[in-house]
Amino acid sequence: MRTSEFARFAAPSAVLMLMLLALPLAITLWLSVRQCTPLLEMATVVQTGPFGTETITTQRARFDQIGRPIESCEVVGLANYRQILGHDSADAGSEQRNEFWEALKFTLLYTLSTTPAILVGGLTLALAVNLVTQRLKGVVIAASLLPFIITPVVGALAIKWMFRDSGLVPHLLGQVGLHVFWMAEAWSARLLIILYGIWHVLPFAFIVFYAGLQSVPQDSLEAATLDGASSWQKLRFVTLPHLAPLVVFVTLIHVMDAYRVFEPVLVLTQGAFTASVQYLTYYILMQENNPFKASAAAVLTVLGIAVLLVPLLRKTWREQRKGF
Amino acid sequence: MNPARRHLLRATAAGAVAAASGQSMADTVSTPPACHRLGLQGEVNLLGNSFPAIQHIARIAESCSSAGLRVRFKLTPQARSETELAFGSSRVSPFDAAVVSMGVFSTLHARGRLYPMTDLVRKHGERYRLEERMLVRVDGEVMALAFMQNTQNLYLRQDLFERHRLGVPRTYAQMLQAAAVIRRAEHDFAFPIAQGFAKGFDLATEFTNVFAGLGGRFFEPGTAKPVFANDLGEQAIETLRSLLPFMTPNALASNADDVMNQLQQGRAAMGVLWASRAARMDDPVASRVAGKVAFAAAPAVRDGGPPAAHLWWDGVVMPRNGGPRREATFLVMMDMLSEAAVRSGNDLTIWVRSTFKPGRFGAGVELARLAGARPWPGEPFFALAHQELGKVLPDALVGDQSARSVLRTAAAAYVRAARDKGFTPDNARAGGAA
Repeated sequence: MRTSEFARFAAPSAVLMLMLLALPLAITLWLSVRQCTPLLEMATVVQTGPFGTETITTQRARFDQIGRPIESCEVVGLANYRQILGHDSADAGSEQRNEFWEALKFTLLYTLSTTPAILVGGLTLALAVNLVTQRLKGVVIAASLLPFIITPVVGALAIKWMFRDSGLVPHLLGQVGLHVFWMAEAWSARLLIILYGIWHVLPFAFIVFYAGLQSVPQDSLEAATLDGASSWQKLRFVTLPHLAPLVVFVTLIHVMDAYRVFEPVLVLTQGAFTASVQYLTYYILMQENNPFKASAAAVLTVLGIAVLLVPLLRKTWREQRKGF
Repeated sequence: MNPARRHLLRATAAGAVAAASGQSMADTVSTPPACHRLGLQGEVNLLGNSFPAIQHIARIAESCSSAGLRVRFKLTPQARSETELAFGSSRVSPFDAAVVSMGVFSTLHARGRLYPMTDLVRKHGERYRLEERMLVRVDGEVMALAFMQNTQNLYLRQDLFERHRLGVPRTYAQMLQAAAVIRRAEHDFAFPIAQGFAKGFDLATEFTNVFAGLGGRFFEPGTAKPVFANDLGEQAIETLRSLLPFMTPNALASNADDVMNQLQQGRAAMGVLWASRAARMDDPVASRVAGKVAFAAAPAVRDGGPPAAHLWWDGVVMPRNGGPRREATFLVMMDMLSEAAVRSGNDLTIWVRSTFKPGRFGAGVELARLAGARPWPGEPFFALAHQELGKVLPDALVGDQSARSVLRTAAAAYVRAARDKGFTPDNARAGGAA
């Protein structure tokens, strides 16, 4: 293919990627090193309303000649990053744990605990369904996929209602004398989020592995049977090597997904006891209403994903090169 | 109560609700809104949070749509951030008006994002019988139209209090005593108190109520300098902590919805909650305690002190960066805030208009006001202190950090956030330049 021809084919995709990926990332980077502050002046105002008259100390905007509030915007370098990471001079001497590092710790815990769980669980479920008779397979597959189909916020709300005070699970546990308060301590709140994550994503791993199992070479399995291999040996030496690329694929996708865990944190705990890095970005943007600091948090989130993905991407890259 | 009588009561209540909603529909649908006679043109976009009273006025506003006018009312739980984003934009705001609480109002006003409505009130106010108490004026300019009000009330199970001959608690100390009696005597009430202690807004609001009830000041008078990291702040945290043994262990994740659920399901005997939620205690579909819950002013922290609660209003505001449809928007709002709108939605909230007839559930604000509750702090920088307190207070309640340390951390974080927003959280006094 000629270079010009290649360029014409690739151009639409390249332009779209630049606009939808590179440009927002560049804007986020730019915002993360800036800060815009409105210029305010102290004032005492008299305010009247439904509850009578009050004199209030306020700071109100200054306006330019055409009546627009004046803002001062400047490049602040890494100040927003330092603030998020707790390296700001105002943090010196504070006994408070830094929110970002706490959120990062939980995000890593979530990622590193849900990833092996969904790999092992998904594979086990796929092997089990593969053994089910053909007539039942459709029903079992459809039922297994339900958690993945449910919208994350709806799923998280359903779980919350099941586990909150007087919910189904505490009620049932109470019947056998167990009184567990899932939102009472950090460990139980975190465990609930992790269990939700496994429940929600396991069907994805299952369906990928199940598809992979349909393409395991039957002649290799028959040859292994003739050689006297046990079921475990056939799984260990024939099936699993065949599924290895899919294991990398599922891990890659899930690590990216898990690092952005957000909905269960928002719905189940609202940040109590635990937060994730994605939740932190949301909180800074929506509650603190500070897009500059939120941009810095977003950049740090992307960097975190990139660091986690490096080993997996290197492995995929090597395999791709071998293929060529 | 025998099952037949219970069934009859439920049916009567359901009928009353149906009749009320039927009345509401009749008022909003069959009677042509006044705005139809005005021949308004163009498009009007409004924004507000999603709860029954605002859903009611949104329906009325949208019924103003006609051949020449399209009215859209966006209802979203993210109304606050969407309003701040739209009104703060350097372009024309996509919303011509928004419903905001008084806390958001203070922030938007300080940042110069609101357009006064004084001229429109002067031109149309009399025709639509706008009442003076609805007009939120700042230095004489009408900056908002308040239409509903709220506060925190004490909810209590009247049947239990009567059974154990307990008086209505006037202070937090009395509330704890009543809780101890009920817990000892009632097997199903291991956690008799329910209150919104969820990290963030709920817990910071509880702290604000108790701290103000102790006579605490958040800022040095006339400045934005924080002074809440003091003995009164510690006492406020201690008061909140004293409630924990009587609350569900899930308390630090319990928001107002969870508290309402605990009361409705008969799992809690008392608690301080938003007055606007009172009617839901008698909702025959959701509540198991219909008719059993009574309401009183929130308890004081000190004997003879004011209730540990604040008065709130919600109102409509117009953006400084609004479009050319300012007058049409105002006239649509006149219909949605009219006397007829209040009559048809009387029990949905506590309306500001004098045509509102407070029933059993609507007297909360008046109870609190008469007991001496003050309006929610109006300083625009208060929201930042409130936000930072909400983040760290749980650490003091569970004992991970000392109360003083947590308050100092919140004060330091407030100073930083206030500077980012252009405030001067130091000794600059009112009247001086920033």
